Parts: sequence; structure tokens; C-alpha cells
Amino acid sequence: MNVRKLVSIAILLTAAAALVFSGGAAEQVEVEVDPPGGREFDWRQYEGTTLVFNFPNHVHYNAMLEAGVLEDFEALTGINVEADRMQYMNMHDAQVLEMSKPVGDYDLISMVVMWKAEYALGGMIRPLESFFDDPSLTLPDYRFDDLVPAYVEVTGIAGGENIYKDGPGAQLYGVPFGSETSFMIYRTDVFEEHGLEVPETYDELTETARYIYEEVPDTYGLTMRAASGHHATHAWLLHASPYGATVFDENWEPAFTSPESIETIEFMKKMIDYGPPGMEGFTQDEEFAAFLQGDAAIYLDASVFAGPAKDPAQSRVHDRIGFALHPRQRTPLAETGGFGIAIPENSQNAEAAFLLMQYLTLPEVEREIVLAGGAPFRMSTVEDSSLYDEYPEFEVLADQLEHANPDWRPIIPEWGDINNMLGIAINQALTGAKTPEQAMEDVYEPIRNVMIRAGYID
Amino acid sequence: MTFQTRRRISMSVKYVMIILWSALVLFPIYEMVSTSLKLPVDAFKLPPDWIFWPTLVNYREVLFESNFLRFFTNSVLVAVISTTVSVGFGAFAAYSLARWNFGGKKTAIAGILLLRMIPEVILAVPVFTMFNRIGFIDSGRTGLILVYIALNLPFNIWVLRTFIMELPYELEESAIIDGCTDVRVFTSIVLPLIGPGLAVASIFTFRIAWNEFILSLVLTNRFTRTLPVAVSLFLTDTGTEWGKITAIATVIALPAFIFTFAAAKSIIMGLTAGAVKG
Amino acid sequence: MRKSSVPGRKNSAYLFLAPAASILLLVLMVPIFNTLRLSFFEWTMRALTEPPTFVGFRNFRELFGSANFQESIRVTITFSLSVVAIELLLGTVLALLLEGEFKGMRLFRTLFVLPIMIAPVVVGIMWRFMYHPSYGKINYFLGFIGLGPYGWLSNPDLALRSVIIADIWQWTPFVFLLVLAGLQGVPKDVMEAATVDGTNYFQTLLYIKLPFISAVLGITAVLRLIDSFRSLVVIYNMTGGGPGVSTEIMSIHLFKTAFTSQRLGLASAVAVILLLLIAVFASVFIRNSLKEERR
Repeated sequence: MNVRKLVSIAILLTAAAALVFSGGAAEQVEVEVDPPGGREFDWRQYEGTTLVFNFPNHVHYNAMLEAGVLEDFEALTGINVEADRMQYMNMHDAQVLEMSKPVGDYDLISMVVMWKAEYALGGMIRPLESFFDDPSLTLPDYRFDDLVPAYVEVTGIAGGENIYKDGPGAQLYGVPFGSETSFMIYRTDVFEEHGLEVPETYDELTETARYIYEEVPDTYGLTMRAASGHHATHAWLLHASPYGATVFDENWEPAFTSPESIETIEFMKKMIDYGPPGMEGFTQDEEFAAFLQGDAAIYLDASVFAGPAKDPAQSRVHDRIGFALHPRQRTPLAETGGFGIAIPENSQNAEAAFLLMQYLTLPEVEREIVLAGGAPFRMSTVEDSSLYDEYPEFEVLADQLEHANPDWRPIIPEWGDINNMLGIAINQALTGAKTPEQAMEDVYEPIRNVMIRAGYID
Repeated sequence: MTFQTRRRISMSVKYVMIILWSALVLFPIYEMVSTSLKLPVDAFKLPPDWIFWPTLVNYREVLFESNFLRFFTNSVLVAVISTTVSVGFGAFAAYSLARWNFGGKKTAIAGILLLRMIPEVILAVPVFTMFNRIGFIDSGRTGLILVYIALNLPFNIWVLRTFIMELPYELEESAIIDGCTDVRVFTSIVLPLIGPGLAVASIFTFRIAWNEFILSLVLTNRFTRTLPVAVSLFLTDTGTEWGKITAIATVIALPAFIFTFAAAKSIIMGLTAGAVKG
Repeated sequence: MRKSSVPGRKNSAYLFLAPAASILLLVLMVPIFNTLRLSFFEWTMRALTEPPTFVGFRNFRELFGSANFQESIRVTITFSLSVVAIELLLGTVLALLLEGEFKGMRLFRTLFVLPIMIAPVVVGIMWRFMYHPSYGKINYFLGFIGLGPYGWLSNPDLALRSVIIADIWQWTPFVFLLVLAGLQGVPKDVMEAATVDGTNYFQTLLYIKLPFISAVLGITAVLRLIDSFRSLVVIYNMTGGGPGVSTEIMSIHLFKTAFTSQRLGLASAVAVILLLLIAVFASVFIRNSLKEERR
């Protein structure tokens, strides 16, 4: 049975159901709906194509599946979408394998922002300008400017002189989808019961975490990811930004042995002491689980977690949480990151993939995904105060986005290697295998060598 | 203490030990299977429900929600084809090495023994680049099947050769005198007599081809992916997914259960082949 | 082998050997040769269409100067020696204690085959679940005697041990079955003579059984050692080599160098070293097998 047949049957069934449940009220059966993205657009120009979409098992993408927008897209365009969903830590290797073949399997990929420069400079993904310039492909009502600017820069812009930042020669390679900044989620019951103030600085945060660890039975302070490699690096970067530490200085010389950097690690070590047991090995899933199960009272990391935290099916604390800005220390800067979607160079269906890319990021579709628990990436959603009752996190998010830092992490093509080396060292410091100074000192030369080999410094 | 009581005590000690050890061996397997039969909300419950009403909800979700059937079919196809070919070619080669003397025979035997020790991961880079060049990776499962045939040939040749060498040569001799061709002698006289050997070879080849992970990870795409890779790509620690993960894992382990209980003797024979003179 | 060839029987040896030989050549030997060659080149996954650049011994120099590679050698040796020693000891002791026919023995022997047959991916998943810091049954049971909770796979001091335990779980039965098979070969009359002479259990063990199975033990040790160098999947799915590089045995180091860092030449250099290591131990096994051949 082909898809169109299925779809028409589905529509018939829905219509029938609507008739039954609405007691036969005819006006309930709406047939003529404006297709999203503008009425004149030719949605069916790639009818019959099959697209393969590689995306992670991740909150936002799970909301996308939940919202059923892929099926809607199939019905609208006659394009068949094959989902290839995997664990996001496995996606990089799978995508590289696929994109180094002569003919690739993937038509649309979701990439963690830290891969974008590697992919863009390696010629593995396509610049989007020519697509957006083509009126036959671009939706009249797309409203590109409504996409959160910091997200667009961090997920999409690459390839210029500044490699991963905007600047001369930089092009658009992707659009945000599952992008995030960071903010804090805390347990209102714990804070109220013990008369705690919501921490606004890292010093206050340290004090609050200690208090909760020492005074609140069966409850720990901050939940944090810290597992060796990517997770440890991510956590360090997240806190390094407010502490004013960076990976490199302006001349690409390693700067992570700075006092600010060591201070960041010392802070993280305290959080491990006040955190749930085994936290030095937490991946993101375990970081989440500790908050969802009610073990940890504070969460400070990616904003996408608001969805699961509020979901009664996943969260034991869904009715007892509050949102607050990422605490500041020397700077108020929060992370930007998460996922963007891009089109592989070796895709055979790039134009149809571009349609899907636009469809998924349309204002109406974004709304549907957000309502299913996804992460907003359009200003119109974040700033829509009519949503604040049900989505109090958007109010915080709107403020937080003013301090969202697209340059909190140096996403050069060599980042994968550096990310891994740094993450091993940071984890060694967190577990006490080495002192923070020693751990960072020990990766100084290896990372410097990577930068020499890649030609940034001599 | 009489001899009788001493014997009885030593027997009880034996049983206690063996039951304890069996429990240790079985517990992780029990954990996997039972988690796959629990509702996601109950999977993490501590203390656990030791007695619970099993549900197939995880299996249903895995079967209908994902590309499970495709990956399952791939696994079956790859395992069955590579087993058939590898055991077949292996038997031919084993016959050659058992019944003739020829130049380079010793080198061949040593080479086969050495190739048996090759780690799969070493092949990942060269085989990926080679197949990428010839286009095997796009053309589907051919590449993976070829690799599994090759990986299992050394063991199959080795095991089948011991079986053939134990056959009395007189049967073949008289057939040759009657004018049978060598191929005929092999297929109609030798093959039927080494049935147990073929069973051992088949079980072990199927085991590798069905279970193999690292080469399948590198050589397959989403069309040709096999079950072990599919489940690994899906592996997260998120609570709700564990039910599905353990359900797929149980399906992957199913042939192992079947072989073990249906043919434990053949498996033990295969495991000890080459180490213990039977 | 009986040397008998029927007089006049033509030598079809090569014909029978040809299909297997050509596949082995194409799919195993050519790639291994390419690995040797590639270890002297720099090549990245990002530019597969461009030819590799010859760099001489640079990859090997880089490897031996790399702290992570040195660590992976150390981890490999610790892992391999630990699992082989413990499995050999446990397997032998259990086989000695449980030898002989008794009721239910066949069923138990069947059960012990199970771990060996189960896919490494599944073994990795099972143990990862068992070791889960908050929901794993191991911490749960230890909680009854007031221990833990431990971060089995997250604590770098524990992770390697946890991985070793999983390997012991899977492979001790293998040693057990091999030793048991070896023990069955102890001639009955020798044992009977010993009993008549009034030798006690430990004397028969020391002077009859152990010497008799020593050859089996040696071969088992070599086989397990080689297998432990080859193992990757269980660890890969349990820890991915982490935390840090604390469980990153050489095979995982190889895979990550190739497909995460995308340095195919450097990865080939790791492969060459791993191959050499295996060849050393394999030659022991092969010499032994060829000796059997001559008999």
C-alpha cells in the first residue's frame, strides 16, 4: 500500500471519528486548510522522493515524533521520510562514515553544533544560500529573521575566516532544530521549605548546593554531567563561560591552564562532593535522571530539559519546579548549543531535503513541536506571553537568550579531538586522579600539538 | 565418619556450589529478560518485583515502532548466507587439507591457524576503504557477508578437517576405484559422514555472523544494519528506553538460547576443538 | 594422516582449496597487507578520495610518544593478564571440584555454555544495566550488607575491574569446559591404581591430574590471552573505553583513532602493533598444533 493511500485512509478515518465524536456537527470537518508556509507554494514538486533523516534520540526530536509532523509533511508533499534515529554520541561516527562514501545515504542530518565546522570545512555539508535564494524552493512565509539569532549563528554559520563564527567568508550551513541555551531549574519545595534564595551567582550556587547536601535529607545539590570525554568538557565549558575561562586565547594558544579555568574545576569538584553518588561518571541521561527522580534539587544545563522535567510521565517532581537565569560570576554568559539540521553534500535529494528542513522549522510546525515538549527556537514563541502560564520557562528563556553566547566553545574542525582530550583531563581532575593544575598541564602540550599540526600556531 | 556420609557430604557441597555458580551465571540473563517483560515504570523499581505479570509491551513497541523488522531480516539473511557459504567452502578446503599432500600445505595450515586469530577491528579500516572504493557498501549486504565468510573459514576448515581425518579412507578408495570423480566422492560419501562436524561449524559461524558488531557498525548503513548495531546505536541510559533495549537484546540472544539447549554437546565439541584432543 | 593416496588418483588439492583460499586472500590477507602499508601514511576519513600521504615512521613515533597510547597498552596488559589468570584459576578449581558424573551435571554444563554463546553486545548491555549506579542490581544487593553505592563504570579506579568481572563471567565457563574435557582424558586405570595405593585427594591432584592437564591449561591460557586482545565489543558497549582512558584497551584505541579522530594511518599503526602482539602468542599455539599434526 502506498503512502498516499494510507494517508487518505487516515484522513477519512479521522474525519469519520470527528463526525462521530462531534455528534455529527458538520462544521467540525474542516477540509480546506491553508497549507503552512504560504498558499501559493508548490509543496508537491518532489512527490515520490524518499528522504532519509538521521536524528538523535533526544528530547526535541522525540517531541517532533510525538507531534506527528513528519507524517504531516509526508501527507502534504507526497515525500516519504525515513527516520534513522540513534543515540547522539554515536551519530558523529555514523554520519562521517556515511558522508565519506561516494553516494550518501542521508539526505538530512541533525548535527551537534560542535561538528558543524568539521563538516562545513570538510565539504561534507551544503551551504544553504543557493537554496534560500531559489524562490521555487523557499517558502514565502518562512520568516528566517524570527529564528533566534544566537541559535542561527551557533548552529548554522561556519566556514569563514573565523571558522565557526560569523565573519568574512562565512556561510549558512544549517538551521537550528533542537537548539538550546542553559538555565537553571530548581525544586521549589526544597527551596521554600528551607528558606533558600535562588542563587544568582556561582558563589551563591556553591553555598546553596552545600546547604542542600548537608541539611536536606536524601537530597543532593546540583546534578551535573561529568563522564570522561565530551560530557566533562561540556560541563566545564558551561561553567567556564561565567567564570571567564576559555579554551584558547585570541592567538589560538591553549588558555585552559589559566587561574579562571582552575577555579572552574574547583567549583565542579565541590559540586561532585555535594552531588548524587557516582556523579563523576554521569552522562547527560544520568544527569537528567538524578533531577527527574528527585535526587538532586538543582539542575543547571541545557534548556531543552524543561520538557522532560515538566512531564509527569518522566518526572517525579514535575509539579514542584521553578526556572531561573544561569547564575553569573565574572560574566553572565550562558551556553548555546544543541542541534541544527543540515544537508549532506552527497545527498541525492538535496532539494526535497531542503523542503523538509524548512517545514520542520516553520513557525506553525515549531509551535506543534514545542507543544509536544520540544525546544523553542523562534523569538515569536519565546516572547509569546500568552504561553507563559503553561510554559513559565519561556519567560526565563527570553531573558536568558540576551546572554546566550555563540562563542562559548571553539568549534574548529579539530574540536572533536580536543574535546575528547580535555574531557579526559577534566574527569581526571574531578575524580581526584590528578590535581586540577596537573590534569590541565598534562594536556597542554598534546592539545598544542593538535593546533600546530592543524596550522593554527607554529 | 563412614565412607557413605563423607560421600554424601561431598556431594551436597558439590550441589551447593554448582547451584550458586549457576545462579551467578544466570542472574544477568534473568535481569535482561525480566526487564524486557516489565512495564517501563516498573523496570527501575527498587526493591524490584520478583514476581510480576509479564507484558509484551516493549516487544510490541520495538516490533512496530522502529525498523526492527528490517534489521532482523538483515541479521537473518547475513547469518544464514555466510554460514552456508563459509561452511561449504570450508568443507571443500578441509577435504583438500585432509586427503592430499601438496606443496605449501604446511604453510597453508599455519596460515589458517594464524588467520583464525585476527581481531575483527583490524579489518575495519582496510575493509571499509576497499569496499567503499568498489561500491560494496552501497550495494548492500554483500560486503558484510563476504567478511563473515572469510572470518569463519579458518575455524571451519580446522574443525572439519579433524572430522574428515577420522573417517576411514577405505570408503572413498573403493568409490574412486569405481570411477567416481573427486567432487562426487566428497559430496556423496564424505559430507554425509561429517554431519556432526558440519553442525559444529554451522553453529559457530552463525554465532559470529549473528553476533558480530564492530565490522557491521562500519560496513552497514540504515538499510543493511544488523541487530547488534541497531541496538547499540540506540543504547542510552534513559529510563524509559531500557525496556525496549532489553527486548531487542533478548531477541539477539534467542539463537544462543536455542543452540545452547538444543546442541550443547556440539558447542562444547567446537569450543574444545584444537585445544583438547577429543 | 594416513599417507595413502590411491595410486593414480589425481591431485585435486588446489581445486578444493581454491574457493576458500581466494576469499581468504581477498578479504583477509589483502586488507592486512593494506594495513601494513597504510601505517606509513597519513590519511583522513574526510578526504578518502585523495591519495594518502607517505610519512615514513611518523605514525609509530607519534604513537610511542603518546600518553594515551602508552596508557592503552598498560590497560590491555592489565586487562588481559587479569582475566586470563583469574579465569584459569576459577575454571580449573571448579572443574576439579565438579568433575565426574552426577545427577544434573549435563544440565549444568549446558547452562555454562550460555554466556559464551550470547552476543558481546548483549553481554555489554546486560552488565551496563547491572552496574547502573542507581538502578543496578549490584549496588542494590551490596546495599543489604551496607556497601556502596559504587560508580562501577564511572569511577576510573573501578571501571577496569568492573569490565574484568564481566569478562570473567562470560569466559570462566570456557576454561571450565576445556579443563573438564582434559580431565576426562585422565586414564581410568591410573586413577584406580592410585586409589588402591591409598593416595589421598591432593596427591592424585598434584601428581596425576595436574600434570596430565597441564598441556590443556597452557593452550587454554594462550587462546584466552589472544581472545582478550581481540575483545572490544563488551567494553565498547559498557564504557566506550572510559572513564578517561581507564578501560581503553588497544582495540578500542584503534577504533577511536580511526573513526572518531578519523586518522586512518595512525589507526593502521596501532593495528600493526596489535597484530605483532597477537602473532607472538599465536605462534606458540600454532607450533603446538603443528606438532600434533606430525603425530
